[in-house]
Amino acid sequence: MSARAFDAVVVGAGVGGLTAACYLARSGRKVLLAEARNRLGGRCESIALGEGFTAPLGAHELHALDPRVARELKLARHGLKFVVRGMALAGLGHGGRHALIVRDVRDTVRNIASLSRADADAWPAFHAELFALARALRPRWWEARPPKPLARRHQEVFEALRHVSAAAWLDSRFESDVLKATLAFDATVAGYSPYEPGSALLLVWRAAQEMCGLQGVSAWPMGGPAALAAALADAAKAQGVEIRTGAAVEHVLMQDEAAAGVALASGESIAAPLVFSSLSRRATLGRLAPAGACGFETLAALAHEPVTGEARIVLALKSLPPFNGMAVPATARFVLAERLESQAAAWSAAHAGRLPDELTLEFVIPTAAEASLAPHGQHVASVLVRPVPAAMSAAMKTQLTARVTAALDAQMSGLAGSVASAETFTPAELAARYGHPGNAVDIHSNWNQRIMTTIPGLYLCGAEPVPAPSGRAGRIAAALALGGGK
Amino acid sequence: MSERPFVLATPFHVRAAALNRDNAWAVRNGFTLSAAYDDAGDEALAARQRVVLADISWRWRLAVEGGRAVEFLSRLLTRDPAKLEPGQALKALWLGDKGGVRGACALARYGRESFRVVSAAEDETWIFRAAAAFGLAPAPVADEGGLAIVGPYARATLAAAGLDADLEPLGFRKLFWRGLDVTLSRWGEHGGYEIWCQSDDGLAVWDRLMRAGGDFGIQAAGLAAMDLLDIEGGVARPGRDYLLAREAFAASPSPVALGLERLVDDGWKGFNGREGWLRSRLTEKRRLAGIVFEGETPAPFTPLLREGSAIGHALSSAYSPAMRRAVALAQVDISAIAPGTVLSLTLPPGRDLPELRTAQVRVADLPFLKPPDPIAG
Repeated sequence: MSARAFDAVVVGAGVGGLTAACYLARSGRKVLLAEARNRLGGRCESIALGEGFTAPLGAHELHALDPRVARELKLARHGLKFVVRGMALAGLGHGGRHALIVRDVRDTVRNIASLSRADADAWPAFHAELFALARALRPRWWEARPPKPLARRHQEVFEALRHVSAAAWLDSRFESDVLKATLAFDATVAGYSPYEPGSALLLVWRAAQEMCGLQGVSAWPMGGPAALAAALADAAKAQGVEIRTGAAVEHVLMQDEAAAGVALASGESIAAPLVFSSLSRRATLGRLAPAGACGFETLAALAHEPVTGEARIVLALKSLPPFNGMAVPATARFVLAERLESQAAAWSAAHAGRLPDELTLEFVIPTAAEASLAPHGQHVASVLVRPVPAAMSAAMKTQLTARVTAALDAQMSGLAGSVASAETFTPAELAARYGHPGNAVDIHSNWNQRIMTTIPGLYLCGAEPVPAPSGRAGRIAAALALGGGK
Repeated sequence: MSERPFVLATPFHVRAAALNRDNAWAVRNGFTLSAAYDDAGDEALAARQRVVLADISWRWRLAVEGGRAVEFLSRLLTRDPAKLEPGQALKALWLGDKGGVRGACALARYGRESFRVVSAAEDETWIFRAAAAFGLAPAPVADEGGLAIVGPYARATLAAAGLDADLEPLGFRKLFWRGLDVTLSRWGEHGGYEIWCQSDDGLAVWDRLMRAGGDFGIQAAGLAAMDLLDIEGGVARPGRDYLLAREAFAASPSPVALGLERLVDDGWKGFNGREGWLRSRLTEKRRLAGIVFEGETPAPFTPLLREGSAIGHALSSAYSPAMRRAVALAQVDISAIAPGTVLSLTLPPGRDLPELRTAQVRVADLPFLKPPDPIAG
């Protein structure tokens, strides 16, 4: 063991790790943050895409940042500034029939009316129910303490939604294919199909989030999600966290069956009674902890590799052709999903190792919010395709790029011709950068179950209920660990 | 698990079939074995007075080999295998994550990175999965037969057969026995020796031992006789007396409740399920005990009553010809384990006595009888 002992070591400088490090340091602990890569921020990353283009990779908008993290760590003072606070959600349909969902309920009703009168009528009630339930469920997802019992009317809906699929829920409210498929896209995180029982609750989770004081929206910070990581890193440094990049943690050191520090790939050992891992539960217990230390049964339960994943494509565009049909703001978050059924088919195809016939994807145009991300008059588009097979061949990758470009061209005539460069990242390539997304959706557990491991002293500071840059797990992990030491 | 026929014959089946006069067979771990060759009581008595040969090829054996074998087995077993020298063995348990007993075994160290697990019950899926985390692929030992030589003349029989039987308890040795490669061990619960041989050599080994033991009155003993020795020796057996923990996070049966706590090393801290073991030591109220009857034996799992309320249950019971009385294993509350405690139980109705009868039983220390010393002769 080295002479320099720390109170806590945080493994991985993603949003979870940075946040945990900040909170630990704030409570006077001596913290080492060890990051394997040479940059901080994990999935909040921007890459250069040819001359003068900057595109987000990993996360391409923020929708789950814990407002308390932003406030308590004074992230605004550390440079976090939002350019677009409430991004509209635009479902793009064939022939210009779009579902444009904005924050204002009446505007949304007006927008949907062209798709379906009945859906327009149903929207205010659905929106009110979704947001009210989401607010009621917030403590369950936001607080470290076990939540207080829900009000009876919410409890009933909550119990029902635990077993209801997003598709069934949306089918019971709406008739427009584009609207349903657009809303259901948010229920397809982490390998979920919108037809999977319980996926309805993923929509509620999303609606429970708050960005810039607004409920259930996506936001774009100046500089992209990478700016969040930069602000957190700045806050961590100000708190006195010792940050080491290029410091891959080889394994967690154990003493008397409890975590006692980490061993770096360089051979150096760092002693610390608390170890926080922002890696997935599977990577942490299966790879970082000594084999079997978490219990064989626990290990076996984590052994399943995800078979589907998401791919990312970033495009540099010489120009941005207008959308066909109805006008939509370019700062929106766009979803391309024609029908719920095609999402189910895509899920099956991806599980079978094939590229889906009908791709479901989400994209944003960062330059619409922040023109400086590309040379004057030019643009950047960032596309997230899911589901795709976790193992994609090189041929599939080429095919995916072409098909995504074609799909966007169908919505914005002429887009294909304006592509200056495109870069595609398969699930495996994203995993090589950010680690495997081993954290499945874990929306029913409480924070104790998500964050604690079977190894005393080892905490998971990236264990969000739904994978997304949030900082909540880091904040609560620090609180649990420090509270547990009293 | 590899595909295999529904029931298997052991390498000694031909000889067993010739001796099995009543055609009394039983299946254990997928193998067809003689339940008794003639009279189980006589066979058990022979094991105490002379020497018997029993087919133990049904025991599950697993070869664990590889650079991380020690690391894996250390994590798996309730004793530290790193302390073993090649040629030594230990007895230990493996527990589920919450401390339920998944199995009990003898672990023999064949070489620096080579071990063998011998157990009464298989746990392949679970152990294979656990071993995979260490990059190991244990292999079931299939092409090998085993015979137990039990009784006061066991050593004399081996000596007469030309085998050097100078082994400490738990010891083992590979021998070249007049053209046959065999392993001689002392891992069993019955105090004797075991001889392990290639399947093809099975009949030759059987014949040599039977010939060598002729002067000592050797006879073959079936499963029933060996089970009786188990009961007399105070050994509860999975499948017969209790169910092993097979659910993912089962905390029972605990080692304490099965009388197996001696197989857990208190100084060994790194094994799977240790937290559950520590907890069960404080909270487990049941203990393994013996009970003796004056009359008939009860049905298995008959509740044992004290002043009308159940405080445990009987497990396997049998008439022990060596003790000349009926005995049983039992699980009773810790408050009732003092030898001599009087309990009552209900006997099953018989043809002549249709009404239920209650009988008085006494709690006794385990083991009822020590296993026969193989060297006394």
